[in-house]
Amino acid sequence: MISIPKKGTPEYDRLVKEHEECIRSMKGVAGCSILKCATPGDTTVVTGGIHEDFLLNRVLLRMRALPAKGKLVVICTKVEKEWRIGRLAGIRGVPPEFVDSRVFTDEQEVQHAIFLMRLDEMAAHDGMPEHFHEGWKRRDDNWTAT
Amino acid sequence: MMRLTGYADKFSVHPGDKIKFYVNCDGPAKYKAEIVKMINGDTNPRGPGFIEKPISVSVNGEYTGRKQVIHSGSYGYVADNPSLRVKSFTIQVWVWPTTPKTHPKYWKHGAQGLVTKWSPAEGGYGLFINEEGKPELRINGTKITGSAPLRDHAWHFLAATYDAATGEAILYHEPQITYALDPEVPPVVAKVPSPPSTSGIPLVIAGYTGSSNGGVLANSSVPKGMVIAGHYNGKIDSPRLCDRALSRLDIETMKLGCQTGMDERRGSGPTPRLSECVVGAWDFSVGINTIVGTDKGPYLNNAAIVNCPTRAMTGYNWSGHNFDWKHAPAEYGAIHFHDDDIDDARWDADFQWEVPADLKSACYAAKLTTADGDEDYIPFFVVPKVGQETAKIAVMMPTISYMAYANEHLANNAGGAELLVYRVPIMQHQNMFLSEHREYGGSIYDTHTDGSGLCLSSRLRPILSIRPKYDHFLMQAPWQYPADLHLIYWLEVNGYNYDVITDEDTNYDGVARLKGYNVVITGSHPEHNSGPQLDALHNYTQQGGRLMYMGADGWYWVHSYHPAYDHLGRGIVTEMRRCESGIRTWRADPGEYYHQSTGELGGMWRYRGRYLHTVAGTGMSSEGFDISSYYTRTPESNDPRVAWAFDGIGQDEMLGNFGLVGGGAAGTELDIVDTMLGSPPHTLVVATSAGHHTEGYLLVMEDFGFNQQGLDGTQHPRVRSDIAYHETPNGGGCFAFSSIAFCGSLPWNNGDPAKNNISRLVKNVLDRFMKDGPLPPPPKDAYIHRGRAEYDPAGNKVSTARGI
Repeated sequence: MISIPKKGTPEYDRLVKEHEECIRSMKGVAGCSILKCATPGDTTVVTGGIHEDFLLNRVLLRMRALPAKGKLVVICTKVEKEWRIGRLAGIRGVPPEFVDSRVFTDEQEVQHAIFLMRLDEMAAHDGMPEHFHEGWKRRDDNWTAT
Repeated sequence: MMRLTGYADKFSVHPGDKIKFYVNCDGPAKYKAEIVKMINGDTNPRGPGFIEKPISVSVNGEYTGRKQVIHSGSYGYVADNPSLRVKSFTIQVWVWPTTPKTHPKYWKHGAQGLVTKWSPAEGGYGLFINEEGKPELRINGTKITGSAPLRDHAWHFLAATYDAATGEAILYHEPQITYALDPEVPPVVAKVPSPPSTSGIPLVIAGYTGSSNGGVLANSSVPKGMVIAGHYNGKIDSPRLCDRALSRLDIETMKLGCQTGMDERRGSGPTPRLSECVVGAWDFSVGINTIVGTDKGPYLNNAAIVNCPTRAMTGYNWSGHNFDWKHAPAEYGAIHFHDDDIDDARWDADFQWEVPADLKSACYAAKLTTADGDEDYIPFFVVPKVGQETAKIAVMMPTISYMAYANEHLANNAGGAELLVYRVPIMQHQNMFLSEHREYGGSIYDTHTDGSGLCLSSRLRPILSIRPKYDHFLMQAPWQYPADLHLIYWLEVNGYNYDVITDEDTNYDGVARLKGYNVVITGSHPEHNSGPQLDALHNYTQQGGRLMYMGADGWYWVHSYHPAYDHLGRGIVTEMRRCESGIRTWRADPGEYYHQSTGELGGMWRYRGRYLHTVAGTGMSSEGFDISSYYTRTPESNDPRVAWAFDGIGQDEMLGNFGLVGGGAAGTELDIVDTMLGSPPHTLVVATSAGHHTEGYLLVMEDFGFNQQGLDGTQHPRVRSDIAYHETPNGGGCFAFSSIAFCGSLPWNNGDPAKNNISRLVKNVLDRFMKDGPLPPPPKDAYIHRGRAEYDPAGNKVSTARGI
């Protein structure tokens, strides 16, 4: 397993910088990828990011593969205007809860904020079998692949 | 939270016909209803913005708000009658529970009813699973609990006897499978002070009567006024009720059930003696395509099945030799009940509108608002009667696909969805509401609250994904209905006169529904289709009709409308099973591939030999949801057979490197030409997005046999979209634009063909396709023999041979 780089390491700083530059270049796009638009907001030519930084690519996959219980999610609180960060309950019928009071006015910025939170929250060895303690269950679509 | 929600009794309504609206207004005293014509549903600031046009009609006005609720969860019930008022009894049943024990915060945590004539207020008798997951016999207030919990996803035989004369009750729990370290499960014997009290409550299978006086909110419950509670998750097979306490041997014999027409030899029961005591012997293998649970016993205590549970499910005795329930019905005696099944919200109508006979066919909605800022839209389509078409163009709104995606919960349920979309999902307020209100039911992409696949979807409920101003987590952009409004906006702004029809109309009316039009235009993602609909499209294009396939991942899944709901209108409940391959958010179990509604094999049309590529020329090959890309023209786009489509477009232009879905025309789900999978061998690839996609795009699993690296958009040659054209007989033709994001580029620069080459391309095609009479014939030298395997889309050998 590739480990999650921790604060204070050059890898951490590199990943944060690259992620931020990529997601900011996606402002205005309906959708996004962690890739850099040659022209901001225009996906015609995209480079860098997950296509060129192997560690960033793998760390993001690990983050995306987290099980639903406790997973961070974006909640749009005003259409096209406001977004907040929530956490999934992982229990049917229990809605996500807001994790903090921050209100983002851009749907791409919130992606970066969650990236930073996950870097902090995930153990360096996160993603090992013990973190997927419900993973042997079939048919549980809280598992990363159904 | 949404305080206003609603639905209509119809998706498509003819001018002059009536449409009813059902509204839940939870809080505000009043709400306003206005009929609006829908033009653009996308709030993206880069596009033209949200556009609706108010229609001045009599039904517009203020209405009194009232709360209406959905009573979801499937069950069967038999109305009270003397035969059910037993003193002594034996209940026996096979069960395969999926959630015998639930999390304390689970939305319907608590005891689950199996076979009950019991309520907290009235008492009675019943067999339950208690909240610890153990079998439980209840007689009035007395509970006799089994010693062992039920194993989930395993068959168990349960029986409970009660002898009123002695007061003795026995509860049997006999697992079908036992593992080496399972403790013995002996029967539990107890004394019960008094026999079950009698009352007017029904006998319920897969639930119990929560309240027989449910108040005004129970108007939408069945039976009306009674609220069924304790919904059971799992399969039930062969329930029996007898009016005396049977011995264990008699219970075993009673497993055989009843057989009608055998009176002379053995009575209705398995033996003459037992036939005297049978109250009910239900056989769910009878009438699998109905909503009746047939009782083969002498009292005909047939159960009404509510909220459409899943039938044609393998029973406790499934042998694994037959996979089609029609060939071995006795092995399909199980019904899988779910606590979130919903077939009809059953609300009281709030207003009804007679659509003016001269109202133009288009997309409309009932817009509901309150003074406090609450808002909801109930979309519907005004569709001309067959023979009364008012345009040369028909837009076929993919309503089966809308139903398949109805109230989809993936952003909330599926942790893995983030790997699919390559970003953190964004939940809209509709998703937040649904995450709490599971009673609104899920989509065919979801699993039920018990984790089993959801294969039935009803349109008689508020469907919050069929809404304008709704961005879907897959693309952070409109999807399905609001995405199809991109096309509607483009038609409007370019001054086209069009009619709107739906999948439903095409399914029921056949080719007659299409023949009156010179061209039929699809929505952005017509993925889910019935056989009759595909037949109609095929007949149409073969008879000279023109088809513009505006999206991708079309013609993919087998759907059928459930005949048991025909009395409520067209296309009420649709069914789809996710079988051996394809993009599957859940997978059907072995032996459960055949539809309960029609008995046909479910899954992908491809595996029924009906390749997607045959319908409009291209078929699904990859998907990814991060960002979209653009097309480049191929040399074949200059072939005189198709060069007209590119009038005003330069050879080296990037086509659609802009858009409101992922930022480009080529994105999300992508179709390609493949003559080995049914693209006609004379298909011309006129533009392709090959080489432009990200790592987030992956080849579909039905295109490869085992997992290996190299399947993503930066590496695999099949990860691309092909815009393609081919002629059909009698002057017909198909143009496939082959990307779900494609329509999202149409509104760019206000859809102006001078400033938007996607708009120019579509306009060129539509202007030619909508003309009366057959299309101009292709050049004579285009008529040559072509193989399938020899087709080479990159160089298109045929064109090259002709020196183009």
